[in-house]
Amino acid sequence: MRKDGDSGARADAGKHLPTGGLAVTAGDAIAPPPRPRPAPWWAPASDTERRVRGRGERAPLGFVPLAAVAVVFLILPLVALLVRAPWGSLPGDLTAPGVLTALRLSLVCSLGALCLSLVFGVPLAWLLARVPFPGRNVVRALVLLPMVLPPVVGGVALLLAFGRNGIAGQWLDSLFGVTLPFSTLGAMLAETFVAMPFLVITVEAGIRAMDRRYEDAAATLGAGRWLIFRRVTLPLIAPALAAGSALSWARALGEFGATITFAGNMPGRTQTMPLAVYLALQNNAGAAITLSLVMLAISLAVLVGLRGQWFPRR
Amino acid sequence: MSLEARVALRKGTLDLDVGLTVEASGVVVLLGPNAAGKTTLLRALAGLVPLERGRVVLDGEVLEDTAAGVRVPTERRPIGVVFQDYLLFPHMTSLENVAFGLRARGTPRATARARAHEMLDRVGLAEAAGARPRALSGGQAQRVALARALATDPRLLLLDEPLAAMDAGARAELRRGLTRHLAAFPGTCLVITHDPIEAMTLGDKLVVLEAGRVVQAGTPEELSSHPRSRYVADLLGLNLYRGRVDQGAVRLTGGQRLIAADPLPQGEVFAVVPPRAVALHRTLPDGSPRNVWRGEVQDLDVVGNHVRAHVAGELPVIAEVTPGAVASLRLDDGGPVYVAVKAMEIEVYEA
Repeated sequence: MRKDGDSGARADAGKHLPTGGLAVTAGDAIAPPPRPRPAPWWAPASDTERRVRGRGERAPLGFVPLAAVAVVFLILPLVALLVRAPWGSLPGDLTAPGVLTALRLSLVCSLGALCLSLVFGVPLAWLLARVPFPGRNVVRALVLLPMVLPPVVGGVALLLAFGRNGIAGQWLDSLFGVTLPFSTLGAMLAETFVAMPFLVITVEAGIRAMDRRYEDAAATLGAGRWLIFRRVTLPLIAPALAAGSALSWARALGEFGATITFAGNMPGRTQTMPLAVYLALQNNAGAAITLSLVMLAISLAVLVGLRGQWFPRR
Repeated sequence: MSLEARVALRKGTLDLDVGLTVEASGVVVLLGPNAAGKTTLLRALAGLVPLERGRVVLDGEVLEDTAAGVRVPTERRPIGVVFQDYLLFPHMTSLENVAFGLRARGTPRATARARAHEMLDRVGLAEAAGARPRALSGGQAQRVALARALATDPRLLLLDEPLAAMDAGARAELRRGLTRHLAAFPGTCLVITHDPIEAMTLGDKLVVLEAGRVVQAGTPEELSSHPRSRYVADLLGLNLYRGRVDQGAVRLTGGQRLIAADPLPQGEVFAVVPPRAVALHRTLPDGSPRNVWRGEVQDLDVVGNHVRAHVAGELPVIAEVTPGAVASLRLDDGGPVYVAVKAMEIEVYEA
């Protein structure tokens, strides 16, 4: 199957070409022309600039101050966190036994949630992207529901499903003697519940966007389905896999509502970092800030690690 | 080596129904306009698109037969494919790309790598073994794709527009290289193209596909002398001759001599005579034309605002003349004419 884009001019490249210019086809290795450097917002647009930049690039009146408010609003709390951090007592706070326990538990639970999301979410994403089974859209909507569901509601729902008297939980209890609520495994499951949809939606988009003809090429070379998936599909969707993993891991790491509802708040077993922060804020604000700083650092690391994915380089 | 295929399927607006028989090894070129179903036919042969009706038999082995319910999956067909934009796996080096098929078929890693090295060496790319596809030029990528497809020793090799991604300057060179590699391939080879020059130079046999049907099949000579459809006529409307450079002229396979302007290349060549460079006269022309021979106007074809005259004779040729010339020379009456072509107008290049 030919790529449909072959014959069409690339939209973004065409925009900068004078009319009557050659159509740039996808096959040509022509770099898009460099974007004109945007002038400062206060500079009046010249006629040439208006022509080059085209419609829609000059902000409607009032957008710039409104956007500035948004930026300040988003950044100020983070600045406050840094300004008010008890830098002097930081080393002591960080190494306090409770902190380390919560940090370790958080990492175990969030990484466990990520693993569960990968093991079950990637096949689900593949099926949603590739197999046109009846009710696919309904399944997708239901699977993505936890993304928009208030986490506390998720926790309650988990309790009703996997709690000691839940519809699945009572069987788990009587058949295998497994009790999920108020256990580390329970905390991990609560985090998986809210985190997996992020992985599924990102990986599904990645699988849909990839050029399937690479898989065809692999098949003509003698590769079976599993080999194709492992050696061709997975590497090709690696960026989406990385982005989805980071998103769902970050979501799992910060999970609060579902965890505290389903797994409780037991130090060493289910008290993850967000729970510890909330608790510490009641009696030791300094420790809460310290813990928050740790999580801020982790979030920043994820953001920096994925900057290529989320902020495409021009 | 033989391929016997009948492929019938519908895809979108395409209604493909094609019979294809290749008796011996050699290069068969599948020529046709866009959306004629060339790529779909190739994908069907490779097993990437299921047939609705038909069968594919390669060297007596039934690969697909809808009547008998047989369908060998793509990965178990002895078919190598060079895709249109090569589709080299971007996350693997050239060597890993070439070794992929061998590894997929269970060859131990060391053996596969050694064989991949050998294949890359054969296409002259030993030094690019460690390079990722992104770092390769178009011509290099094409050769890696060829090496990858050949590494598993397929009995049928399919190439989809192998030269389409190349710029015009590099094409002639790459075409010669490709011709050489295909000549060394022992099995059957099917090449898709929409470029008539490519079709004439690569193929021993041409199959012209139009709107999902074979409209003509035969040798390039057969096709260019007797086009049987508007498409073929337009496409092969130029006069292409094959021959050998001999004493400052081109001796054609039929024995005639064409005198072309210096410098001439050596050995086997193609000579192209554009129809508009062919002049027709009722009397022996005087003056400079170096190539003059007798012929007989057999047919006139109006194409746009000019007329194509099919002239039979010592050297069959298509001439493009003005309606005025047709009237003043009374070409529509047929009869003998003198055909004149200036040496300057004949383009000669290596085969």
